[in-house]
Formats: sequence, structure tokens, C-alpha cells
Amino acid sequence: MAPLPFSPYTFIQCPCSDSTLLARPADAKSPTGADAEEDERTFDPRAPRSNYSLYPLEYLLYCEDCHQIRCPRCVSEEIATYYCPSCLFEVPSSNLKSEGNRCTRSCFQCPICIGPLSVTTQETRHPDANLLSADNAATPHSGGFSLTCSYCHWSSTEIGVDFDKPNGIHAQLAKIRNGGESRLTAKERKERRKELSHRGDSAAAAAAREEIEEQVPDLENQFANLKSFYNSQLADPTAADNGLSTLGDLGFSSPSSLSRIMNLYTGGKISDNKAKSRLGAIREALTPEEGLLVANLDEAALISQLHQSEHCDTASMAQITSQPPNLGEPALHGASRFTSSLRPIPHLLRTKRSKRCPVCRHIISKPEPKVQTTRFRIRLVAGSYIPSISIKPLTLPGPSGSSSSNPSDLLISLKPVHYLLTFKNPIFETIKVTLATPAATPGRFPSKVTVLCPQFDIDANTDVWDEALKDNDRSDKSSRNSGGTTRQRRGTEAGYQLEVGKIWERGRNWVSIVVEVVPASLRLEDGGMLREDEDILEIPMFVRIEWEAENAGDDGGIVPGAGGKDKDQKEKRELAYWCVLGLGKIKQN
Amino acid sequence: MSSKRHSIVPPVSQSGPKPPVQFSSSITIADSAILTGANLITISTESVIHPRAKIESLAGRINIGRRCVVQERATIGAVGSAGKITEAAVTLGDYVTVEVAVSIEAGDTIIGEGTTIGVGSRVGAGAVIGKHCTITPHSDIKAGVRIPDYSVVYSNGTRRVDKRPVAEQLKYKGLARQIDVLRRMIPSNPAKFM
Amino acid sequence: MSSRRAPRGEYIETDTGNKVARKATLVGTQNIMLGGKTVIQPEVMIRGDLIRSIQSSTSSSAAGAPPNNTAVAIGRYCFLSRGACLRPPGRHYKGAFTYMPLRIGDHVFVGLGSVIQAASIGSHVHIGARVVVGEFAIIKDYVRVLDGTVVPPNMVVPSFTIIAGQPARVIGEVPEGGHEAFELRELYKTVGNNPHPAPS
Repeated sequence: MAPLPFSPYTFIQCPCSDSTLLARPADAKSPTGADAEEDERTFDPRAPRSNYSLYPLEYLLYCEDCHQIRCPRCVSEEIATYYCPSCLFEVPSSNLKSEGNRCTRSCFQCPICIGPLSVTTQETRHPDANLLSADNAATPHSGGFSLTCSYCHWSSTEIGVDFDKPNGIHAQLAKIRNGGESRLTAKERKERRKELSHRGDSAAAAAAREEIEEQVPDLENQFANLKSFYNSQLADPTAADNGLSTLGDLGFSSPSSLSRIMNLYTGGKISDNKAKSRLGAIREALTPEEGLLVANLDEAALISQLHQSEHCDTASMAQITSQPPNLGEPALHGASRFTSSLRPIPHLLRTKRSKRCPVCRHIISKPEPKVQTTRFRIRLVAGSYIPSISIKPLTLPGPSGSSSSNPSDLLISLKPVHYLLTFKNPIFETIKVTLATPAATPGRFPSKVTVLCPQFDIDANTDVWDEALKDNDRSDKSSRNSGGTTRQRRGTEAGYQLEVGKIWERGRNWVSIVVEVVPASLRLEDGGMLREDEDILEIPMFVRIEWEAENAGDDGGIVPGAGGKDKDQKEKRELAYWCVLGLGKIKQN
Repeated sequence: MSSKRHSIVPPVSQSGPKPPVQFSSSITIADSAILTGANLITISTESVIHPRAKIESLAGRINIGRRCVVQERATIGAVGSAGKITEAAVTLGDYVTVEVAVSIEAGDTIIGEGTTIGVGSRVGAGAVIGKHCTITPHSDIKAGVRIPDYSVVYSNGTRRVDKRPVAEQLKYKGLARQIDVLRRMIPSNPAKFM
Repeated sequence: MSSRRAPRGEYIETDTGNKVARKATLVGTQNIMLGGKTVIQPEVMIRGDLIRSIQSSTSSSAAGAPPNNTAVAIGRYCFLSRGACLRPPGRHYKGAFTYMPLRIGDHVFVGLGSVIQAASIGSHVHIGARVVVGEFAIIKDYVRVLDGTVVPPNMVVPSFTIIAGQPARVIGEVPEGGHEAFELRELYKTVGNNPHPAPS
């Protein structure tokens, strides 16, 4: 049933899911949102919305000014650096506008398997020259260069593309069609055309013009044509006097109608409108030069090609969708059907991003902008402010509890089990933790939950060196009789009775407590089916931490929680949030 | 750091008697390669058997062609699920590269000339792989499957025909160079297996 | 393997704190550099014998220094799980074939049965079980490679990415709060001849 063993997890709810909390910055008195009604409302981890607010601790950030948890969904991101994941070169954001969000050097992915393509010398090009291969190798790169996939050995020669130089592949590829035919980029086309119009109408020029037009306009060129056409339409003053004034009133596609509508709302003068409404509508593109592309409805050639090809020659959906848009390949207008018309995929750029608190706009995470460094200038992660919670099944010696030692074991309905929750305090102050869980988990199958010790203190996270020393002490003593035996002893001393209100074990900056759970019976009266994940035992738990923080001068920033107290004084802080403990799977019978 | 010993190679139990072998004088076989079984193992000219590669002839003869490279932990002639005994358990053509931790099961299994079997792949009993194929890492070639020449097999089971212009000479020259280097690096001890 | 119980403990512990299982296979130990506090579990194989056969032109010209034969260099607090295999990548270079050194940074975890033929692996990298890292792949710092991934040869994996698939592709980003999870100091303590229990 369950191929993967279940591993317990803790997810924490970001307060952003509660819209009221975002609207007002955490109040000095109650960052917990301790309204009576809110306290009574139990958080349901199965509610559809919960999917969007629960995160593992590592994914959460913390705003030091709002004293609140922030999640990837609520922070606002700012891009610090764009870089190519393959060559790790930074791309200036100005290039981004002109060149798009892909690497323009020589970094490509295989169109078949997305493995990286590398530039290889192409001595293999002339199979007939095999016997002379020794001589060929001596002449440097006689056969040019190609892109080759190092995973599946796809080569750009398969689509008839090879290169003269081993660098600047992106620019070279833009000028080559599949099959090796050269292609004019939009810019070149424009220049060529301009050149022709300057020269008179000689026969040669006409022939050259024909040649340009004969090229099937690909997506990129068509877009460029359309853009320049409409730009000229907007700019052309003569279009205004084109007659058609009555039709122009109806036209929606003219700049005049747009301005008239705008005027309606901005309270412009009607007389003005009348004058402007005489402007003609923009006409549609009529020639290929203007960007008109007549759909080719005759697919006979395509069909016959499909008849002749094998399954592996046709492109899969994944291959088509990973093709970059605006490719120079005419076949990709709709979608390419054959692998022979796929193009090498230039690498998508990646980014380094800094993150801001959505409420106070302070930066809470900021990486070094350089691509190769992994340091952060600011990195306020929730893990260094709120305690981590780890979950372990607790096995007690006894008549019933002997078998369920494996954490991947399924829970048996109505058979009480115990879990050890270990809270680890990351901050340098002693914290007081208060836990609250509903007596029964929400949902159709309520399991009973009892936190044996819902209130406890955890000592401060003292210096790391102390830890090392203490660790050595402790491990020397306990290495022979490991921690497990001490626990067992304690269990037997208490006569296999867990004491309510007592913590189970405590360490330097951690405390373990016990939670008793009686898994629900998954039997449905009407014999219906279990919904997805209904057999997972999840406990919503409200955690509230209180501590005294030194109110070290937060100069510059207004501390909402400080409430204008003296700076030397210790200041009471508290933080409260819901979390979800995923304990295990209940066995279905 | 450097100890006096040049390797830490824990002993491996050689179960059963040594299999009969027929080695070309130019092969390179590491001291810690493992040869077991009762049938003849033939290794032809200039082939290289890396340390801890395992060749089992329990289920029939093993034929390794010329200039083959069998990397560490590869098992050639593994007795697979079929477990049948055949005349020629596994036959590797010339210039075959069997990468790390590949398992080639016994039972008339044939690997064609110039083919590379990627890391961790499994070739089932009786599979026939054509010439110049590329089997990507972690692929599973089911028992009895026939794979045509110049195929590329992906680990998810899909295939493709390698349409590159044929360049055998070049590939062979490359392999020969690699074998040249390996021969200098791997101390060969064919006498141990004779 | 041998039925005789090793009386001296399962691991050889070196002065620099490396813990090398007696049942690991290290070929060409003189070419394997361990930075210290690195764990090598049983059945790991490291091919230190596959050394560079062509010295790069820059290093050979450097005052006739003895050739650097390091084949595999591993940093501190690395953890090579059972069955992992490290092997220097090889390629054709200027008409000859040569192996190139495999360099691994600090706090690198290599999962069960993974085969690594990278050119370099940064620091704080977690490689899952049954992973294949192809020849000359470059894995930067803070990268998580999920179980069963095949990193194709020559692939560059940038920092803070999570990769998976055959061939590998980027499937996610390591969150800011996940950097500490790459630390292997605690794991180091849990193995050896007198291991400490894992912290609760």
C-alpha cells in the first residue's frame, strides 16, 4: 500500500494566510492575534487553504521588525542577479530586455533529452574520409563544430546545423535554419530591405527583394514585421485624413477611439473628441512584409511525412514545450511534429533574489550579488528564531508497546501510541513554550490527542563551545549505555506510566515531551472510500513562545513590539503560530 | 596521508574452483578482478578488466571481444531470473564498454560492437544489443529484448536512432588511446587467473 | 565477505580524524587525499589509480615541481555511504587520453551506491542514493541531488539548486533556512569504532 516509508514531519503555518494579520502589523499587545474567537477556532490542516500556508521550517523567514514568520508566498522578491546556470556568467539586466531571458553565449540543452550540449569538433562529418582520419585530425577542425549531447549523443548535425567557430554559438545558430540554410534575422532583413529601397528598381534588386520575401517568415520575423507595421500606422499622420471618418467612429482599433474613451473618464472636452474622431482606423496588415501570415491549411505534405516516419522521429509534448518561443524555425509556428525541426534550447537564466517583508518592507534575505559566492548579506531564517520540533515514536517496554518500534510501521486504530516531541531552542534566551492541541483531530476521523506536558521552559542556546564541551562530557558517560536505555529506565521506574505535566527529557537547549495519540478508526459506516491522505494522522498544534529579549537599540527602525520602553530594560516578547505534526499513517483494515 | 600500501583492497572470497580461461597476451586484468564459474572465459586482444569487475561463467561461456573495457563492479554473466544454462552465456563484441556496476545477465546475451552500457544498467538474459548503441545509465534492458544497431536507449525505456554520421574509426582510436593509458595504470595480473 | 570478525574495529581512524572502513576498497591510496574527519563506509570504492597521464602545460612548467598525481581529493567532513564509488573522469585532450582529478569540497554526503565521476563537487552538497554523476560534471556549493538522479556528463549544477531526473534537471531551490541541513559534523560522530548515538 505505502511504497515509501512514512517519515514524521512538522509544517508551520505562516500568518500571511490570515488576512487580518497581514493588514495590521503585528500588534504590540497581541502578535498572537489573541482575540477570543480566534483562539477558539481550531486550525484544520486538511482545509483546502492550508495547503498554501504550511511550510517546513527551512522555508520560512522571519522579520525582525514585525517579529513575525514570513513564508515564500508572502515575501516580495527582488531580483539581484541574472545568471546562466551553465556558464555561470552574470547577465546585465539591460541585456535581458534586448536578448531575452536565455543565455546568449554557447550554453544549450539537448532538444531531445535536455542534457547539456557541448561544442565538439566535427571531424566525423565525412564518413567517406574515414580512411584518411589520421590526416584529418592533423588539419585543425576541418569539419567545423557541432553541438553534441553528452547524455544521449544527439548532435546538431542531425538537424543539419553546424558552426564555423566554437564560440558565440547562440549568434551563429540564429542565422542557421535546420538543414543548414541560412536565415536572416529580423534586423538584417530590415537593413537589407532599406538598402534595396535606396537603390532603384533595377532587376537585380527586384530579384533580391523576391529572395527576401520568399523566405518563410518565421515567428520572430513575423512579430518584428507586425510590430514595425503597427508602429508606422500609429505614427503616420496621413492616416488621419484617410476619409472613412464615419467608419472611424465605429472603429475600436484606432488610437483615436482609445483616446476618446480615455477622455470620457478624464473629463476631456467633447469638441476635441469630435476633431479627433475623424482619425481613421488602423488598417490591418495586408502583405507578408507587414506581418500578414496566411495559414497553411494544406497538411498533405505533413501527413505523408508522418506516414513515412517512425515513432521516435516525432517530437513528444515535453520536447515541444521545452522549445523556446520565438524560434527561427517556421515549422514551430504551430508545434513541431518532428524531432528534425527541434532546435537546441538555449539555457534559461536563473536569478539570485533578495526578499522583503510584505508588511514593513524591510529586507529579510539578501544574497551577495556575485554569481559564484554563496554568502548572504542578510539571511533572517525562521529556524534561528523559533524552536524546531522533531518527532520520534516513543517505545516503552510493556505488554502492548513492544512491537511498534519502527517509525514506518502503520498505526493501529484505537491503539494508543506515544510520540516524543523534541523542541530545540535556537535563541540565546530561555523560552517558555505553551502548547495547545484540540482534544481530537479535525476531519472525519478524529484521533484523540493528549499533550502530556503542554507547558515548559527551554534553556537558552548558549555558546557553541559550551555545547562542544558538554557534549563530550555527556557522550562519554552515555556512550556505553546510550540515551535509549536511560529513557527505558525511566519508563519502568514510573511503572509504565507517563507522568502528566512532566517533561520527558531535557538537554542544554532542548526539551522532549510526550504526546499520546489514540488513532481513529478508519471504518466508514456507508462503506465509502477514504479520501486522499485521510489515513495520515496529522495534529494541529498551537505553539506559543514567550521570552525576554534585550531591547538592544534598534536604531533607525521602529519596533512595533517595543512600545517605547527603556532600552536597557528586558522586554517581553511572544510569538505564536499554528503548526501541523504529521505523525504517521493509520492502518486501514 | 600516503601509506606504504598502495591500495586497501579487502579480500574477496573466490568461491569454487578457478574457471578455465583463454586470455590474449595483450589484455590488462586487475589483480582484484573476480572470475568465477566452470565454463571458459575468453578475453581477446587489448581488453581491460578493471579492479573488482566480476565475470561469472556459471551459466555458460563468456566471450569478451577485442579492446573491450569492463569497469569496476560490473558483473558479466550474472545468473539472472531465468537461470538457464546456455552454450554462450554472454558475448561482448569488439570495442564494448561496460561501465561501473552494470549487470549483464547470462543466457545467450550479446552486446554488439562499439556499444556502451551506461553506469548501473542491467541487461537481461538473452537480450541482443546491436552495434554502436548507447545505453544511458540506470537503464533496464529486459530479458530477450532485441535492440537494433545505432540505438540510444534512455533509462525511461524510450529509444532513438543515433543519426550521427558513422565514425567508427574515430571512436576506436579513442578507445585504443584510453586502453593505452589504462594499461599503464592498472597492474595486470593474468597469471592469477590462469 | 570474510566471516572472521575484525577484532580491531570496523574502521581505521587516522590522526586527522578520517574514519575509513576496513572493508572499503581504495585503489592507489597514495593519490587519494582526505582532508580529515571524512567517513568512508564499507564497500566504498575510490579509484586513486586513475591518475592524470598528461600534465597540464601550466603546472609542468612550474619550476620543474614533481608532478601532482592527486587523483581524488576530498575535503573535511565528507561522508561516503556504503557502496559509493568515486572515480576520476577521463577524456581526450590534444589527441591523447587522460584522467583528470576529482575534487570534492567539505560536508559532502554521497548516498548508498552512488557513482561519482565529476570534475568537481563543491561544499555542502548532498548526493542521494543510487545517483550517477557523469564525467566532468561540476556541482557547485549547496546542491541537493535527489535519489536516483543521473547527472549527465559536463553538466554544471549551480548553487542552491535541487536536481533530480534522468537526465538531471533543476527541480527546485534550496531555501534560505535549509543551509544548515548540509552540515555533516553530527553525522560524523555517529559512525566509527565507538560511535556516539545520533542526537534526538
